[in-house]
Amino acid sequence: MLEVKNLDVAYGRIQVIWNLSLNIGNNEVVGVFGPNGAGKSTLINAIVGVVKAKSGEITFDGVPIHNQETHTIARGGIVVVPQNRELFPAMTVKENLRLGAAYIPHARAKMDETIEYVYSLFPILKEREKQLAGTMSGGQQRMLVIGRALMSRPKMLILDEPSLGLQPSLVTEMFQILNRIKQDDMVILLAEQNVRQGLKVIDRGYVMENGRIAMEGSIEELSEDEHIRRAYLGV
Amino acid sequence: MLAAASKKQYLFIALLVIAAIVIGFWEPHALIYGIQRGSLYAVIALPLALILGILGVLNLAHGEFLTVGMYATFVLFSRFGVDPMLSTVPVTLLLAVVGVAVYLLTIKHVLKAGHLSQLLITFGISLVISELIKSIYTTQPRGVFTTYSYSSTTLAGIRFGTYEFLYLLIAVAVLVGLQLFLKKTRLGQATFAVGQNPRGASIVGINVSFVYLFVFGLSIAIVGLASVFMVPRVSIFPGAGTPYTMKSFALTAMAGLGNLNGILLAGIALGIFEAVVNAIPGGSGWSDVVFFGVLILVIMTRAIREGRR
Ligand SMILES: Nc1ncnc2c1ncn2[C@@H]1O[C@H](COP(=O)(O)OP(=O)(O)O)[C@@H](O)[C@H]1O
Ligand SMILES: [Mg+2]
Repeated sequence: MLEVKNLDVAYGRIQVIWNLSLNIGNNEVVGVFGPNGAGKSTLINAIVGVVKAKSGEITFDGVPIHNQETHTIARGGIVVVPQNRELFPAMTVKENLRLGAAYIPHARAKMDETIEYVYSLFPILKEREKQLAGTMSGGQQRMLVIGRALMSRPKMLILDEPSLGLQPSLVTEMFQILNRIKQDDMVILLAEQNVRQGLKVIDRGYVMENGRIAMEGSIEELSEDEHIRRAYLGV
Repeated sequence: MLAAASKKQYLFIALLVIAAIVIGFWEPHALIYGIQRGSLYAVIALPLALILGILGVLNLAHGEFLTVGMYATFVLFSRFGVDPMLSTVPVTLLLAVVGVAVYLLTIKHVLKAGHLSQLLITFGISLVISELIKSIYTTQPRGVFTTYSYSSTTLAGIRFGTYEFLYLLIAVAVLVGLQLFLKKTRLGQATFAVGQNPRGASIVGINVSFVYLFVFGLSIAIVGLASVFMVPRVSIFPGAGTPYTMKSFALTAMAGLGNLNGILLAGIALGIFEAVVNAIPGGSGWSDVVFFGVLILVIMTRAIREGRR
């Protein structure tokens, strides 16, 4: 479904992604694990057009998207839950959710239906629907961005460290909810530092270090690898 | 960002109303004149606030666009005998086109370049426009005389000009129009979203570049609308619009960024204030000094208070 080939990304002169290739098939949930600074967010921002690739190719359903603008990519079915949320703080929870669908033609018609689905995943959002997004707690804001992303009825959901900054009890809940979204047939690219929890959701994963793919494998391969056990799972 | 009316704003309205009543008894002319002038200030300040709030650009060429609108109205009148009131639509459209062109040629390319480059480029635009006007029309003042713009009426023994009440009408119409646009239309909601978080907006599928283009064009069109109605009452020269840039910025700063209703209130407060200062014997000429002094105080108090938070 999504194919990244020989991607290089640089901020000015400093290159942070080196000749990176990965792919995500239909009906797959794929993880990208790696420590802080590995380049996970940069990779995601390059996929959704927030930063421009220096070279390489990104195709979605066979269509090259690396020269498209972010809003076009969003309308084409890739939606991102950014690491730093990017909500509309002066709008209510419900307005934020509605904006998730309002500018995506195929999602707009199903807005009311989708909002019920999002509320079923995150009942707290229904309780708080009239509250301003900017006044909610970090965890609630995280749920709101995921809800806003789902409102666009994406073909593929990209999550950038959804568990970041959540208290431990919420982290577990968050990954349960991600599993529910997965069961509803969503294709997901999940960037995480929390490998232990991430392994419970994904079908297959990559490990990213210093802007390169260091390893790729199934859940079993990843969880049995010595380096990963030591560096990420603490055993 | 565009915020809703706050408690403080109601307090301000209450104070303004009390002041208006007091002034109304003491110097009714100052009150009427102040409301009229203030409404005009507000119409001109609203588009500056919009560009600043949504694009994050302080447009130092704001007043020069006003001058362009005045000359366009003047040319339509002197060459083709078009009454200023009939110039409303063509001049507003012309300024929209000018705004879009200036945006595409210049502003668009400095949106990511930092505030200093933006200030310099809009300052450059202001110089280019005023020099262009000078070389075409010289510095000789021009005027457009219409009889209706000097009509007046007497109410309860007070005689006052009626034409300038148009300013109040237009200020309210522009304000209500903008609020409806932002709240009720899809493009308006997109604009509101972009003003809060451009990256977030692009992620939900909003074409942010188009919103910027539209907002700039719309804002300059509003400036054009204001210029048409000013023409019958002002002398037209290359620097005629220039003082309005700083006045508009001052009103935006006083109201607080994103507070469109506050701009009308601040405008009327400024108008009344100026009229009162001018009514004091020997006071004329002092209003700008006092006004900008008060403005500095307001901004400093706000900055200090926000710094403490
Ligand atoms: N906007 C930016 N400008 C310059 N360097 C950046 C920027 N964003 C990230 N970087 C650098 O790129 C590298 C990868 O960062 P990032 O993609 O955020 O990694 P991760 O998401 O895996 O923590 C880091 O060295 C970081 O300092
Ligand atoms: Mg990151």
